[in-house]
Amino acid sequence: MSAAQMLSTSLLLGTFVLLAGCYGLLYCLARLRGSGRLGRAAAAAYLFQGLATGLLALGSLELWWKGLLVASFVAFAAIPPLTWRFLERLHAAEEQHS
Amino acid sequence: MFRSQRLALKYFAAAMTLFGIMVAAGLLASTYYVHDGFLLNKLDFSVAKMLHIDTMVIWLLMGFIGSVYWFLPIELERETEGIKLAEIMFWIFCAAVAVVAAVFIFVQYGPATEMSLWFVNQGRKYVEAPRWAALGVTLVVLVFVYNVVATAIKAKKITGIIGVLMVDLIPLFGLYLIAFPSITNLSEDQYWWWWLVHLWVEATWEILIGCIMALALLQLLGTARRIVETWLYIEVALVLGTGILGLGHHYFWIGTPDYWLSIGGFFSALEPLPLLGMVVHAVYDAGAHRMKTTNKPAFYWVMAEAFGNFIGGGVFGFMMTLPQINLFTHGTQWTVSHGHFAFWGAYGCGVIAVIYLALQKARASAQLDGRLWKWSFALLNIGLVGMVGALLVAGIAQAFYERAMGGSTLQAFMQGQSNVWFVQGIVMRAIFGLVFALGYVVLMYDLLTIGKRRVAAAALKPHVAGGPA
Amino acid sequence: MYAADPAFWRAGAISSTLVMLVVLVLLTVDSLATIRPGGANVPPYTVINKEIRYEFDGDAHRYRPVIGADQQLFGQTYSPEEAEKLMRLGKLVIQSRNCMNCHTFFGNGAYYAPDLTKAWLDPAWQQMWMPMTQAATREEAIAAFLMNPEKYPTWSRQMPNLKLSREEAVALVAYLKWMSAVETNGFPIHFGHIQTN
Repeated sequence: MSAAQMLSTSLLLGTFVLLAGCYGLLYCLARLRGSGRLGRAAAAAYLFQGLATGLLALGSLELWWKGLLVASFVAFAAIPPLTWRFLERLHAAEEQHS
Repeated sequence: MFRSQRLALKYFAAAMTLFGIMVAAGLLASTYYVHDGFLLNKLDFSVAKMLHIDTMVIWLLMGFIGSVYWFLPIELERETEGIKLAEIMFWIFCAAVAVVAAVFIFVQYGPATEMSLWFVNQGRKYVEAPRWAALGVTLVVLVFVYNVVATAIKAKKITGIIGVLMVDLIPLFGLYLIAFPSITNLSEDQYWWWWLVHLWVEATWEILIGCIMALALLQLLGTARRIVETWLYIEVALVLGTGILGLGHHYFWIGTPDYWLSIGGFFSALEPLPLLGMVVHAVYDAGAHRMKTTNKPAFYWVMAEAFGNFIGGGVFGFMMTLPQINLFTHGTQWTVSHGHFAFWGAYGCGVIAVIYLALQKARASAQLDGRLWKWSFALLNIGLVGMVGALLVAGIAQAFYERAMGGSTLQAFMQGQSNVWFVQGIVMRAIFGLVFALGYVVLMYDLLTIGKRRVAAAALKPHVAGGPA
Repeated sequence: MYAADPAFWRAGAISSTLVMLVVLVLLTVDSLATIRPGGANVPPYTVINKEIRYEFDGDAHRYRPVIGADQQLFGQTYSPEEAEKLMRLGKLVIQSRNCMNCHTFFGNGAYYAPDLTKAWLDPAWQQMWMPMTQAATREEAIAAFLMNPEKYPTWSRQMPNLKLSREEAVALVAYLKWMSAVETNGFPIHFGHIQTN
């Protein structure tokens, strides 16, 4: 890996997770406020994360790491909605309980 | 207030004092970088840095222990068992810390003998404290474990949270024993050393702060126990599921087999996933309560914890965790940048949140709020992010110029350190360190006075249901 | 729903932790065998009696330490017992003088002073310190520097004088030589070779 490749790859990796965080945060805010605009912003963040994933996939990492990143990208999509739904159900079940 | 809670307040006071010493040592350490020859042969960089990192470990540990002493009697509905012994151990702990610090500053080095390891300095990062002091810490932790377990037995009750805590105390104690041996073979020495450092900081401590946050949420937001417990178990599963073999990200370059490159890199790369879940959880909680709470500072510091953990640990960690990248970044200021952010986000913010919670009860304040805490919140977080950003720039310069281009020799190191980006980064780090230090001063003033000041009635906005918080 | 039952997640937490711990223990057993002196990646202490080089291995796509012909250290050849004693002293020097809080070893430590993993192989000893100290061998130059760093500065950031005895300095140099022969999977990246692209 050359110096330039190292720099671009590491910054893309950081951006990858940062955008996952943005997507997660925006998704939550969208659910809280019932806002379509925030929902679209969340989708946009996820798309940008996809762009980062694509750039990494085209980069100089070995195939196995590229595969891991793509799989993570898919997993990151599921985390906010699954977690949110789980929390809602958990709180609802608790309310029923009490 | 239970006696255990009074002890907790003492631990918090000691913790915050050490936080201050950590900040002072940090400012001192940053000075060597910008001023060549500073205190050479009088108080070398190694001493300042050692004081800085060791006070960090101990202030957090005292914060955790204090938090448990605070919540335990409430959770188990009885006074902590063996509280008198615990009180004695607190003073022994403080005295030992003071003696060790004095020896570090005034004696500094000994000859290359076992005696030096017993009485002066063991020279292994984070666990430099001489063996006699390590024995003291072991004793303090043992008494702490006894307090927790004995109270649960006497109460004939083990809640889910206390159950997790008790199991977590086994590695908390056991791993610390790695602070004792001196192994000639550096490869093996570092192999075990990383069990202590990583499995404390990225496993045991994560569970410990998870338990403490669970206990805090029960009080702060009145969340139902079942929910808090369920979430704690999920956290344990995900954090240990990724963190135990994530230990492998320290086994890339110390002579261990190269399958660690794949295993360590893989599990380490998974570590951000549970952290995103924690962010979602934090936002859910914030939203569900519409940011309304009887303890504003505690609430904000809990939010800071979730986000700081994600960005400091998750984002910054991910940048450097893949082995082909780490080969360039390992042992540079890039690591320092990640370390500062991760420790702050994962642990610092959490302990401060708990202290605010405890103070609310201690000062019998129905509504804890004010103006000062907002200033310290801003200054500390801006200072921290500024330092981390500056160190990132310096670290990238090193990875690029010293390692990738320069060939990693002494000459390359010297050139990297003189590189304009590096120097700018290191200067900005010192400046933001001052901002952070100012935040600390404001924080201390606020902690000493919040809930005691008579707040004018007009300053308190009435809480109307559905209205703005 | 069972997912709302804490017991379900408790079982998950216990099982995932146990599985990971078992794997860690198994890998540890294997790793310890690899890293013991004389194991696959870590040379025996008597490597201090050999020449050590760092060469690119085409198959592994990385630089690796290469152990060469016999080469005396400080004018002598050490027996296995002598070498082990020397290493033990060298490690005690490193710990008692708190080296890890200025330098890094295998990249671990503090970042104020250079990484010492391959320090034995650093060209600076031949280029700068041997002329400065007038030493006949690399090891004598390193020992002279360590005992009196203030006499042989090469930079505005100076190493402090840690009051090393001759015996301690010799042991420390031997330790650095042994350490440079450990297989570190190519860390630090292309040591000694400057990139032009």
